[in-house]
Amino acid sequence: MNSQKTKLDDSQLVNQYINGNEVAFEQLVIRHKSRIFSTIYMIVKDQYVAEDLMQEVFIKAIRTLKSGRYNEEGKFLPWILRIAHNLAIDNFRKNKRYPTIVMDDGNSVFETLEFAEGSFEDAQMKKDMHKSLRKLIQELPDAQKEVLIMRHFMDMSFKEISDQTGVSINTALGRMRYALINLRKKMQQYNIAYDQNFYS
Amino acid sequence: MTKIFTHDDLIRYVYDETTIEENRLIEKALAFDNALLEQYQELQGLKEQLDGSMLAPSEKAVNAILEYSKDFNLHPVKD
Repeated sequence: MNSQKTKLDDSQLVNQYINGNEVAFEQLVIRHKSRIFSTIYMIVKDQYVAEDLMQEVFIKAIRTLKSGRYNEEGKFLPWILRIAHNLAIDNFRKNKRYPTIVMDDGNSVFETLEFAEGSFEDAQMKKDMHKSLRKLIQELPDAQKEVLIMRHFMDMSFKEISDQTGVSINTALGRMRYALINLRKKMQQYNIAYDQNFYS
Repeated sequence: MTKIFTHDDLIRYVYDETTIEENRLIEKALAFDNALLEQYQELQGLKEQLDGSMLAPSEKAVNAILEYSKDFNLHPVKD
């Protein structure tokens, strides 16, 4: 007997939620919380602000979905990530003159953050490496960091990035290329562990 | 004639933005071109590390969102 469950896609979950199924909404939140939170965090660089903004994002989403104003033609994840990105950018601009930045430097609240993947015996080593990687992303030039966040964390295509940022697809691709090359260089420079078999 | 693939082509491939035909040609090239294969493995490894660097919000924040959604049924807020 095949006991494998069929995984509902976002569109099906959204429809169920609109029809009153709160469990469907919980699944959407669990499925996308890390990507949404990471996108906001990469911009505002403060765990508490990121959590507040994430709640604001979902409040907007809940109101839109439950009031019947959601456009079914759009996809849920790009839609909610756009809300997250806009709120994070607004917050960043508002606080730019007097930034309250909690740096990801190992001696702050970030010790208590949960990681997206499961626990392993070598969890501490991975934790340190990922913390360093997030710090290196922050050191990238703004244009490269923007494309990296949009492509990797927000899952936007290069065409969508091109449309949103007003540069050509080739320029967006070039910025992504430099972002990845720079990250690799910095990882080598700071001797951050890089083992391709680490995840196998 | 064998097509020469660039680093940008590999980035599009790693991020699933290449066409089926491009995938076929890239996979064929990867089988014979060690330098290209090395570039691909580096990109794939870095992408996996970026995936791993994602953070999760606290349980408290997630629960607050779920509670808000449940309460919204009882006391809908008008915009």
